[in-house]
Amino acid sequence: MNLTQVRLSRRQALGVAAGGAAGAVALTFALDELGGSNLAALNTGSGWSSPLGDRRGMAAHLLRRAGFGYSQTDLDAAAALSYDDLVDRLVSQRSDPLAAPADVTNHNSLVEAWYTHMATTQAQFPERMTLFWHGVLTSDYRQAARFPYVYQQNALYRSAGLKDLRTLLTSVSRDPLMMRYLNLDASTATAPNENYARELMELFTVGPGNYSETDVRESARAFSGLRIGLYDSSGSRMKAPRYDRANRQAYVDQVNALVAAGASFRGTTVPRLHDSGTKTFLGHTGNLGPDDIVDILLAQPACAPFVTRRAMTFFASPNPTDADVNAVATQFRASRYDIPTLMRAIFRSPAFTAPSNYRSLMRSPADYMVATMRALQRPGLVRTAVRSAQGMDQVLYDPPSVAGWPANSGWVSSSALLTRINFATAATTRLSGAPDLGGAITTQLDNVLSPTTAAALAAAHTDSDRWFALLASPEFQLK
Amino acid sequence: MTVTRRDFLAAGLVGAGAGIIVPPILAKGVFAAGIDGIHNDRVLVVVQLAGGNDGLNTVVPYADPAYATARPTLGVKPETILHIDSHVGLNPALPKLKSLYDGGQVAIVQAVGYDKPTYSHFENLYVWQYADPQRRQTDGWLGKLLGSQLDSQGHPMAGCALGQASTPPELRAGNATVSVIQSAQGYTVRGGAGRQATAPELYARTPGIYGALFDQALGTAESGMKVLAATTYKPMAQYAAGGAAPAANTLGSALQLTAQMIVTVPSVKICHVVLSGFDTHQAESTRQTTLLGELDTAISAFMTDLATHGQSDRVVLMTWSEFGRRINENGSLGTDHGAAAPLFIVGKPVKGGLYGDQPSLTSTIDDGNLKYTVDFRSVYQTLIRDWLQGDSAAVLGASYPELPVFSAAPSVFSPA
Repeated sequence: MNLTQVRLSRRQALGVAAGGAAGAVALTFALDELGGSNLAALNTGSGWSSPLGDRRGMAAHLLRRAGFGYSQTDLDAAAALSYDDLVDRLVSQRSDPLAAPADVTNHNSLVEAWYTHMATTQAQFPERMTLFWHGVLTSDYRQAARFPYVYQQNALYRSAGLKDLRTLLTSVSRDPLMMRYLNLDASTATAPNENYARELMELFTVGPGNYSETDVRESARAFSGLRIGLYDSSGSRMKAPRYDRANRQAYVDQVNALVAAGASFRGTTVPRLHDSGTKTFLGHTGNLGPDDIVDILLAQPACAPFVTRRAMTFFASPNPTDADVNAVATQFRASRYDIPTLMRAIFRSPAFTAPSNYRSLMRSPADYMVATMRALQRPGLVRTAVRSAQGMDQVLYDPPSVAGWPANSGWVSSSALLTRINFATAATTRLSGAPDLGGAITTQLDNVLSPTTAAALAAAHTDSDRWFALLASPEFQLK
Repeated sequence: MTVTRRDFLAAGLVGAGAGIIVPPILAKGVFAAGIDGIHNDRVLVVVQLAGGNDGLNTVVPYADPAYATARPTLGVKPETILHIDSHVGLNPALPKLKSLYDGGQVAIVQAVGYDKPTYSHFENLYVWQYADPQRRQTDGWLGKLLGSQLDSQGHPMAGCALGQASTPPELRAGNATVSVIQSAQGYTVRGGAGRQATAPELYARTPGIYGALFDQALGTAESGMKVLAATTYKPMAQYAAGGAAPAANTLGSALQLTAQMIVTVPSVKICHVVLSGFDTHQAESTRQTTLLGELDTAISAFMTDLATHGQSDRVVLMTWSEFGRRINENGSLGTDHGAAAPLFIVGKPVKGGLYGDQPSLTSTIDDGNLKYTVDFRSVYQTLIRDWLQGDSAAVLGASYPELPVFSAAPSVFSPA
């Protein structure tokens, strides 16, 4: 197929759709009745006519991946910048703190508050990073019990998750939700618990094959004796409020007040519970403690490529090549694991910018629902989103395992896609004040449609049906 | 829309045009099963116990003094153990499974594992899901079986993942079609006939790397929605206490949906369900008791339900977990990752008893872990070959010693 744009009438589109031979053929589609635009379309082997040779196409591609969603005005502004300037602008966004929900100890309230934030904040890139780290350094809300641990971890990833990997990992080892989730808070010198020590290496830093079972056990000794305490904003130890079943609201009010005053729970090493003996970990011998383990891991050659690959799989391409990963990892390591450096390198990597990476990623459920709220400018859909999340298999702070969320094709199943389609129906019911649909096809879908989506859009008679077809379409599930 | 077993067999033998009303989608399944060479109506239900179930506290070697030494606080109290024989017994949270065992319907396979195990969840999941300790295979073992022998024509309900929203890796394969149904009620396109027609059409023939997956997922959903909308199945057992409907996202609700699919759709061959939460590094005894209790109630209700619907002869269930746990308890009233562990094969067609050798608690591997006595692929082979009557070597790439769970065929293993 050559690089020319193909323009088809609706009748032709239906013919192609019905003919069935179009499996691998992508058409840049201009629907006259819905308002089309001209795009430079490249045939790239991605299966779609890729708009990534075009400045506006590149800007939309980056906004979908570095953020969640955007309006036509946002896209106009982004496309006015050069691609490199746009990358710099996004990566340097300062994070916008999440205001504490009414009950800072409640999982559902926190998830609703976070969805609202993702759907409304101007600082989308920091939210995207927070969601990324939530999937990597993941934890289960059930471990928070009656404490504000979920809120605290969320805030940690929004701040340290934009700094450097050392700051992030040394903080995570003392994050109360992580300490509870991977049992650091119960590990003692006499019986060190291996759970965190193992996952720190296997999932967070170097990956399997780069350590022995002895390293797991030695690292567990170094992490022994961490316990959770409450500290006020000046760092002095405080007594945690007592839970009172009979007067739950009073308890919640107390915790909310503590959080508002800047108090936080975190881990510290309790000397009598800590193994202060000599350990040998990955060739280093000494009285190693938690931060020594992190430093030794950061010095391993496997660390930068491993973390980079996880980030690239989330942000750039489902299967980045070793060469692409290593090129980014080299910059990451050289910057002393500076996370903005990592992200700028990813957004400029061929694994991100090459035309064949167009629509190579699947939106996660959270991403899909936030993108929908932003496309429709309906942040009021948050409750519907929270209710729909389980059917798409992504309840935030309830990951399937310590390996975090699936990615890309892992989100595809008959049940999960039906739930996405039903969310699109719920989102487009009683629609009023939604943006103009003709513009949305260009803005949201780059005017690159499969014949069947084009046919469904053309066959829809109401705004609600048209928006449904757009949001439920395969194109909108991809980015 | 229910098709009886007799109808199914007749259709399967004679062909779907022989005057029996078989819904077209089911006829396709019958036909596909026919050309793929497996001519039976047998079903395998796989129950994944996710997180690494503590085998030693599930099938307890109570007579071994080393057990009490290894589990000073976490050991199951001797007087509560449900004795299987003079050496081992079941956790007291499994009374209904014990009744099924006493009725000769439970095979307990001891010390299942593999050589040179890893201690990682994810590596072990890979090993079990892809039936490959080298972790190089790219298709799941059940997916391979589905795609190559059970239904290469893509019958939408030959392989079902139930009570979950994602496709489990063991069912994934390039040519396997899988129905993923979290709940029967939720498996629908809302918003009327227009939306119901538009949805699958939108996902047909999508270009790009996700196109085939999308097309298959929505095509599968379209068939499944029709079947479930027309089902006349009613549960005939208590999947939850007090006769209430089982809570969403429990093993009880997943197995009730499994029974519904088996009763409603004769071409169902493989069902996968999961019970999570077994990673008991801390406070193990409460958590494991709760989970085993859920397992006990759900399996027992499932077997009763199948029997009442006249389906007992065609269904076998197996449990598995990615690893057992360390022999010695840790200092957090829990256990860390371990190696070999027992599993259960349950159903009327099963020849009940103890299979495999009890592993030593003192002659261990890797500083205190149980050595396997039965390769997990022996279990897979037994289920593929002796139960489903398929070609196990084509799935597993080799042959393994068989467990005589379904026949009196000579074997290196014998029931204790």
